[in-house]
Amino acid sequence: MLETVKLTKSFKDKKVVDEINLYLQTGESVGLLGPNGAGKSTTISMIASLIKPTSGDVKLNGKSTIQNPSDLRKMLGVVPQEIALYEELSAYENLKFFGKAYRVEKETLEVRIQEVLDMVGLKDRQKELIKTFSGGMKRRINIAAALLHNPKILILDEPTVGIDPQSRNHILETVRELNQTQGTTVLYTSHYMEEVEQLCNRVYIMDHGKIIATGSKEELLSILSSEDTIGVQLSKRSEAFTDKIKTLPDVLQVEQTSEGLRIMAKKNHHLLSSLVHAAEKEGIQIMNYKVEIPSLEDVFLHLTGKTLRD
Amino acid sequence: MYPVFYAQFLKDKRKPLLILTFIGLSILATLIFGNSAWQTNTTVAVFATGPNAEEIEQKWVKLLNKDNENTEYVISEEGEAREQVREGKRDIAILLMEQDYRLITASDMPNIQLIEQEVHKVFTEEAQLQAIAGSADTAELREEIDRYLEKPPLTVKIKSVNGGELTSHNMGTQLLFGFTLFIAMFTIGFKVNGINADKVSGVWNRLNLSPVSKTNMYTGHLLYSFFIGFFQMAAVFLIFEYVMNYEIGPLSLILTIAAVFTLSSVSLAMLVAGFTKTPEKFNMVYPSVIPIIPIISGVYVPPGVMDNPVFTFIADLFPMGYAVEAMMDAALFGADWSEIMLPVSLMLLIAVIYMGIGINLGERSRR
Ligand SMILES: Nc1ncnc2c1ncn2[C@@H]1O[C@H](COP(=O)(O)OP(=O)(O)OP(=O)(O)O)[C@@H](O)[C@H]1O
Ligand SMILES: [Mg+2]
Repeated sequence: MLETVKLTKSFKDKKVVDEINLYLQTGESVGLLGPNGAGKSTTISMIASLIKPTSGDVKLNGKSTIQNPSDLRKMLGVVPQEIALYEELSAYENLKFFGKAYRVEKETLEVRIQEVLDMVGLKDRQKELIKTFSGGMKRRINIAAALLHNPKILILDEPTVGIDPQSRNHILETVRELNQTQGTTVLYTSHYMEEVEQLCNRVYIMDHGKIIATGSKEELLSILSSEDTIGVQLSKRSEAFTDKIKTLPDVLQVEQTSEGLRIMAKKNHHLLSSLVHAAEKEGIQIMNYKVEIPSLEDVFLHLTGKTLRD
Repeated sequence: MYPVFYAQFLKDKRKPLLILTFIGLSILATLIFGNSAWQTNTTVAVFATGPNAEEIEQKWVKLLNKDNENTEYVISEEGEAREQVREGKRDIAILLMEQDYRLITASDMPNIQLIEQEVHKVFTEEAQLQAIAGSADTAELREEIDRYLEKPPLTVKIKSVNGGELTSHNMGTQLLFGFTLFIAMFTIGFKVNGINADKVSGVWNRLNLSPVSKTNMYTGHLLYSFFIGFFQMAAVFLIFEYVMNYEIGPLSLILTIAAVFTLSSVSLAMLVAGFTKTPEKFNMVYPSVIPIIPIISGVYVPPGVMDNPVFTFIADLFPMGYAVEAMMDAALFGADWSEIMLPVSLMLLIAVIYMGIGINLGERSRR
């Protein structure tokens, strides 16, 4: 129901978001993954019509929202990356303020405030000032404030950065609950692969302003299906041996680890025997040999040559 | 607009100390500076040196104290007088000489300029009389002049422009207005800075996504700043008028001028907020610029003392000079509505222009 068409944003001459096409279907939960500075927040701001794209379009049910974003805004809940709350007010007062701003009916607002507080598990702390809250509790209220008007589409921009595991689990649980029992469409931005793996049906991977891969978890993993990552434990360290391995056919990359080597190679049944052979020649014993199960993290590494978190 | 206004109010309701402190500060500053310098009599230590010190002292003290009502000149011992100036117990002491004098001072307070004027007048008069008499003994000539003036051939009566008694300028009242307006500008600035704080924290974006319009977001903040600023000034004036029994003047006029001044100060703060964009930068720039305004507007000195054309030009770009002048006119010289129209219009003009530029700057280059 919501899609972007060649969405682009440049600051000065720098393209921060570069012709991004993505879509959300009703009831879906979609992840947007990317390292720092990939352009995730900028993309979200454009979708939410907070900033104007340099070019491209954002469409709601086929209709452009750029000129007239009010229909979209009514059904959109945005949890910003920063804590957008009044620190000097209590959790309750903040929610009441944003509820009134969102024109939630007076009678329903009280009920709704208690509902969202319950959802994020801070009902009993609502009278306390935001500035006395821990980072995790602030993030939870930050989410609650975006839920007051019952949005059909919820966009979360890194809602779990820098918080304790308890709050993090609570947030993930809340989002899952919203998506699965209330049918809220979710766009979840993060640079934590595990979260996206847990929550989302579909993932976009973004780097340097571009979408570099997209699909379900399985589809993304299949990118790596023609490759294996192999951990090898060796009796001793040897530069000569490492160099030797690098020259073997189908080996793509060799990394030294504390225990031995980490080898990325095209699928090849002869690799083990070639390894054993080479090791014998160097007088090295292979203590352990393991083909690792690839994760989305590995997909990301494969695609960008870097890990998600620097 | 209402939720924005109310949220700002809630924040202050929890911490009313800042505004109460500012009200107290306005009153305190007026009492300290207003009273000590202008309302009570100042005493100035004078002394002479040399063999005929006593003679010189006697002669000049008599002349100095003759016409000057607000200042009392007392003979004291040189060391003591210098000591007191050095330690800041007195602003000024005067070294008397046969035909001349030296001011001994460690500061440049406005009242020193006034004393200087008094002393200067006495010395020049004496010099003139000596020139006429052709000798240092002017006592006879003085008597003659005094006698003559008792039955003058020509009398000049001074009346003010609108025929009433001429009121002398009252620095105490001027300082009262000046300090109150000055301190209110701080309150107003800190409140307007809430816009920058909201923009940085993300609250602004959040509201932007809500049905609240941008106009209403600005209005909510600015209206609140206006009310707090005006409330503070009105509180100070009312306390002076009713609790401390000062003659503030016609309250309806004074409060109207205060309201227009508040409006243009809100605009001025918005201009600075638009420039600075972040609350931190605002807090660096605003408090360093604001204290200059009353100084160049001549609020701390009697009218006419501040005559540097560059300063007066800059001062004309700010509302404070107009406001204090209009308030003084209303308080001391019985100005009516038509007479304060000009300064009020100029302040409104400033309000419109600064508000326009400020909001434009604030909106520009925001993502
Ligand atoms: N207003 C702006 N002016 C200039 N450059 C900007 C502006 N906003 C963002 N950028 C740049 O655009 C790039 C993408 O920023 P963005 O915040 O969208 O990344 P992100 O993926 O959300 O990163 P993070 O994980 O750190 O939140 C960054 O290099 C940033 O410096
Ligand atoms: Mg971001």
